[in-house]
Amino acid sequence: MTLMDQIGMGFGLVAQWQSVGYLVLGVTIGVIAGAIPGMSAVMAVALTLPFTFSLQPIFGILLLLGVYKGGVFGGSIPAILIKTPGTPASSATTIDGYPLAEKGQAGKALDMALYASCIADLVSNLALILFAGWLASFALQFGPPEFFTLILFSLTIIAGVSGDSLLKGCVSAILGLLLATVGLDLVYGTDRFIFGSANLMGGLNFIAVLIGLFAIPEIFAYVRNPKEIDGDVRKLGHVHLSFTEFRHSLKSIIRGSFIGVILGAIPGIGAAPAAFVSYSEARRNSPNRANFGKGEVEGVAAAEAGNNGVAGATLIPLLALGVPGDVTTAIIIGAFMIHGLQPGPMMFATNGDIIYAIFIGLVLSSVILLLVGGAAIRGFRYIADVPRYVLLPSVLVLSVYGVFAVNNSVFDVGVMFAIGAIGYGMLLLRIPAAPFVIAFILGPLLENNFRQSLLMSQGSLDIFVRGPITWFFWSLTLLAVAVIIRQTLQASRERAVLTPLGTPSAMSSSGTRPAE
Amino acid sequence: MKLKSLAMAFGLAATALSAAPALAEYPERPVQIVIPYGPGGATDLSARALATALGSQSEQPFVLVNRTGAGGATGSAAVANAEGDGYTVLAARVGSHTVNPAMKANLPYKLEDFRFVGVYEINPVVCAVSANSDIETMDDLVAMAKDDPAAVRYSSSGVGSMLQIAAAMVLDSFGVENVREVTHLPLAGGGEAALAVYQGTATFVCTNSSALASFVKNGQLRPILVTTAEPLEGFDAPTAASLGHEDLEALVGWTGIAGPDDMPDEAAEQWRSWLAEAVKDETFLNFMKQAGSKIDLMSPEESLEFVNNQYQTFSRLVEDLGLRVE
Repeated sequence: MTLMDQIGMGFGLVAQWQSVGYLVLGVTIGVIAGAIPGMSAVMAVALTLPFTFSLQPIFGILLLLGVYKGGVFGGSIPAILIKTPGTPASSATTIDGYPLAEKGQAGKALDMALYASCIADLVSNLALILFAGWLASFALQFGPPEFFTLILFSLTIIAGVSGDSLLKGCVSAILGLLLATVGLDLVYGTDRFIFGSANLMGGLNFIAVLIGLFAIPEIFAYVRNPKEIDGDVRKLGHVHLSFTEFRHSLKSIIRGSFIGVILGAIPGIGAAPAAFVSYSEARRNSPNRANFGKGEVEGVAAAEAGNNGVAGATLIPLLALGVPGDVTTAIIIGAFMIHGLQPGPMMFATNGDIIYAIFIGLVLSSVILLLVGGAAIRGFRYIADVPRYVLLPSVLVLSVYGVFAVNNSVFDVGVMFAIGAIGYGMLLLRIPAAPFVIAFILGPLLENNFRQSLLMSQGSLDIFVRGPITWFFWSLTLLAVAVIIRQTLQASRERAVLTPLGTPSAMSSSGTRPAE
Repeated sequence: MKLKSLAMAFGLAATALSAAPALAEYPERPVQIVIPYGPGGATDLSARALATALGSQSEQPFVLVNRTGAGGATGSAAVANAEGDGYTVLAARVGSHTVNPAMKANLPYKLEDFRFVGVYEINPVVCAVSANSDIETMDDLVAMAKDDPAAVRYSSSGVGSMLQIAAAMVLDSFGVENVREVTHLPLAGGGEAALAVYQGTATFVCTNSSALASFVKNGQLRPILVTTAEPLEGFDAPTAASLGHEDLEALVGWTGIAGPDDMPDEAAEQWRSWLAEAVKDETFLNFMKQAGSKIDLMSPEESLEFVNNQYQTFSRLVEDLGLRVE
């Protein structure tokens, strides 16, 4: 069978109405599931899997891929509208998405999230089709030492999301790192900071922490000072994204897509670091740098591009090597196996038609995402019009349900409120929440990979400079630190000049402040 | 008169109504199956496939809940402490119910806290090395471990995982004396553990055949030992027995359903008949076979004996090698 025959047969498989139907169904399920706080793309895929057992292989696989892609985008909807990121990856979207919603520009933020998602998705799919083999072999060179240097570099992002005060950002990050140590120690298996509670043995639940940190403080603040501060502003109308804004963000979208593709191809990293790195790079290169964190549409674009760039790329290790790179692809591999299909290099020869059908289906899914996502945000956009005295209680109920649903655990709901109290304290002290989240997500990765590396090298630190990839990330880290120091010095000089004139420093971060 | 008979009729109807729930059979409401591991893992997929097969047998739905954390301990503890009404059961697994209790001193539950209604799935354990490595047989690996134990690394999905104890047990059985000096590399999950061997981060891994099947089929990993009595299809490696290590046959993965120890007989009996039907379901069988598992439903008594035996074996090993985590 020649290549053209296989592509032709693959096209034939996708060109059935059921194929397109299942893909649309999958994306729809995914977007809705992703938009529910507490439901993630992974969970939606796991729930859908049993329904694919009785379907034809290609229908089942397309359905799952649709759910996955839809779920990754869907997470941005609550992140923007109600400051409730459903996954760690969409917390980067919240940083600028929610301030936009507060300014009455939710429509614009959602539009941007959708376009960035679809473009990144398409780039990711094309990378999969064209460079799968090459990217997969590159990705496999990432062992614990390489991960460690990559994560170390990612932590420099904290400086970028700290707002006015680097010190406050560091306090926030240290708090996040501290709370991330709760649970079992990976290497020795001993308990840390669990105070005899079986509930704490597994550590603090991600979703409970995310929602507790972002959504709950808003509600606390509103309870203490129930003013419709921006009620009128929010209703200013449905501002759409203008073409100029889109064009200005295009560079960040493309950059974010590539960051997503490269990090997504590496097994075990996940979408959150990609979203954060992309966001931080966009901020670093943007002329509107000061506006990031206060409602910059380019920030939403970068975060969503990084997040969605990962979606297609996680299939790279799966299809090129037969290796599931993350939990989602581990589930999708199950859908292959039940039909006797073995993903991997051999599959191009044995079931090439299915591979090409998946490729065509993936490209089609980007277009379907644009249509389904467009319809979804037209519906969800009205949430921004709901007055806060109705919206915030609803968010509270939704948050409690969402956090409970992850593990069916009341304890997690308690964690959410406890973190909410910390988050409210941070809000009052003007300590930014984003560094906390980044440290909470990356901290365990940093520690585990550091210790795994030392186990590999039997305690020798040489392993951290063992190859070009580690050197590359060390140089990036040094560069980033140098830039941070320079900017901090510059800023303090500027402040020294400005303060005598009585100009107050710019306010950072968003949210209703009872003090105001 | 008319009123009186009407009242009586009402009375009767009321009695009938109130009596109805008491007569109704288990289950009257949805049954929750707690999966102590995350979505997409072997336990999760197995339990979900089982629930799909069970779905047609009960009018009440089965609700699957992932309670992840601490190597299965969080979810297991939740079920051990749940009300013993039969509406909360656990997808118990080798890691959560034999390895963890054997290794961890301060686990919040004991084996006796559970009532096993049936172990339904057995996963063979396979040891594998990278296809590029010089290690061709178990003897090569053992020679290397004896020569320089710290240079040999085995990957696992964490302290107290089946992967850790499997590698230790195999090395111990093959006469490696200082098993504790061999480097244990705990990773975030079973998939990562197998991948680490392919990447060269670890020297070998012993894990469920399902986690290795695709690596072996693609010629990326080389199996060097299977612990089943019979040779395993798709894995070109000697059995432990053929190398004179019958003791390793105790080393298998499994999944079963267990309730809290005070689960009522009625519910346990119902589960037994459900499981007996589910293991005949074609789709379920096919999926589990593709995943490399053997479907073998044990009676509650057999299940308990099987789990206890494995627990004893692991406890002795942990004691001998000093692997206990305080």
